[in-house]
Amino acid sequence: MKIYHTIHEILTEAAKQFGDADAIRYKIGPNEIEKKSYRQLLADSERFSLVLRSLGEEGSHIAVTGPTSYPWLVSYFGTVNGGSVAVPLDVSLPAEEMCELIDRADVTVFVFDETRKDVAELAKERCPKLKYLISIQSEAKTDEIYSFSQLLREQEGNAEMSPEPEALCTIMFTSGTTGKSKGVMLTHRNLAENATCLDMRIPSRTVLLSVLPIHHAYCLSMDILKALSLGSVICINDSLLRVAKNMKLFQPDMILMVPLMIETLAKKLESTTWLPPAVIKSKVFGKNLHTICSGGAYLNPDYLDFFARYGITILQGYGMTECSPVISTNVSWNSKKGSVGKLLPNCEAKVVDEELYVRGSSVMTGYYKMPEETAETLIDGWLKTGDLGYVDEDGFVFLTGRKKNLIITKNGENVSPEEIENKIGEHRLVQEILIREHEGVIEAEIFPDYEYAKKKRVSDMEKTLQEIIDAYNKEAPLYKRVIRLVVRETEFEKTTSKKIKRF
Amino acid sequence: MFEKLVDIIGNYVEAEPETIQPESRFMEDLGFTSFDFMSMLGELEDEFEVEIDQQEAANIRTVQEAVDYLEKLSVKAAE
Repeated sequence: MKIYHTIHEILTEAAKQFGDADAIRYKIGPNEIEKKSYRQLLADSERFSLVLRSLGEEGSHIAVTGPTSYPWLVSYFGTVNGGSVAVPLDVSLPAEEMCELIDRADVTVFVFDETRKDVAELAKERCPKLKYLISIQSEAKTDEIYSFSQLLREQEGNAEMSPEPEALCTIMFTSGTTGKSKGVMLTHRNLAENATCLDMRIPSRTVLLSVLPIHHAYCLSMDILKALSLGSVICINDSLLRVAKNMKLFQPDMILMVPLMIETLAKKLESTTWLPPAVIKSKVFGKNLHTICSGGAYLNPDYLDFFARYGITILQGYGMTECSPVISTNVSWNSKKGSVGKLLPNCEAKVVDEELYVRGSSVMTGYYKMPEETAETLIDGWLKTGDLGYVDEDGFVFLTGRKKNLIITKNGENVSPEEIENKIGEHRLVQEILIREHEGVIEAEIFPDYEYAKKKRVSDMEKTLQEIIDAYNKEAPLYKRVIRLVVRETEFEKTTSKKIKRF
Repeated sequence: MFEKLVDIIGNYVEAEPETIQPESRFMEDLGFTSFDFMSMLGELEDEFEVEIDQQEAANIRTVQEAVDYLEKLSVKAAE
């Protein structure tokens, strides 16, 4: 296995080696599959680099949003391999929030899935630096919106690019502890070496089903970059509703998942206990699945034994966007239950005041235009992970808790409690609020303004507060929704600086 | 449709069928995770031969809302 230093190297080498073999498979009808070869993927992404050059936006910041799709991948590779900077955005974000990120990341070109046309419309008013809007689905240019396929058709030839390993290539947003998301700046070397420095002994032409959101570093680095470097077949899951169906359709050998998904699948397996394990496995996952890589959040190690009964190995790993993202992973021939695996070969760790610090070629260069936050997180090249843990004598990493005030949900999303507290706290009836994770869901504890309630003749406090939460939930992405409410009768205990004591 | 839905809910959470009411909320009352919910919708697509829009479905909170949504889709599919 070769270590690559740029994403351009990964794609061009894979195209040389695997040429006309399938790189990507995706659904175009309920049971109809479209295929794209390595050669096609490279050619189309070079066309997109030429599109950016023709628009005069080579080297600019290009945002892309949408579910995983072939055009999404073409936009991404065309952007980064052409010397521009990709800004992948969460397709489920509210329009206002997405516009704020587009503006803060100095984006000039916005490539979007038609389901988020609302963002494109709003961005026209809100994002003065934005020059071009490109719709992934539209067939021809209309008004001010360009058509992705039309732009691509107009270009032919080789983009002749070779970006430097140290060149910034991707800005990925992650929740900050203060409630303001931070743009993690990653170079070609950061991402390419993260994806290729560890030989996981995965044979070429391994079929994998990509089910995680593409704007996540874990999905981009492992499902896409690593898979392409190995000559895998990447099958795109078209909707979270259809994971079960797509497993049967694409018959993958491997899947990357977050603990939330693994837990649901375990329930599925459990609900059909009367059949032999091999039959159940085949019914739920298809015949070929042998490995699930888990990352993004804590997974109860008991699931490892549970899935082993069905002949499926779960490899638990650990990482964060700031480290492109993988820091450590278990591998099939060397793992420890309860550990998040051994450090990647390009990563070293130390423990300072119980907190894990890591250093290596995948550590970000900083947060985009946030020097203070960068200085707080990067200390002499060491990345403060915010996780408490240790490395044992065999080099396995164990995590014991969190230092930063950030909720890591079971689907690997980082949620800032302050962000939700600020939003719900805007309501006059909410005097004090604390957001925390409780039994796997987000819980709000509220001390209402009883004086105000009296004035407004609020008769059912719980019902009224629930309505406030419902209104917040309606606008929030699924993973940021508040599921439980606790109403307090007394004020929260405070620290000396008059802040609510969290723990 | 309500009874069928109660059956399918049982594949995802350990709720006694008699405790599942039309006004029961999937996540808050029945203990669904967001991915349980998505997976159940996928199963409902097959069961009722409809196509569910993920974004529209994200607004469903209660069992009754799911029944209403499925009925609307079934009518559409029959047209």
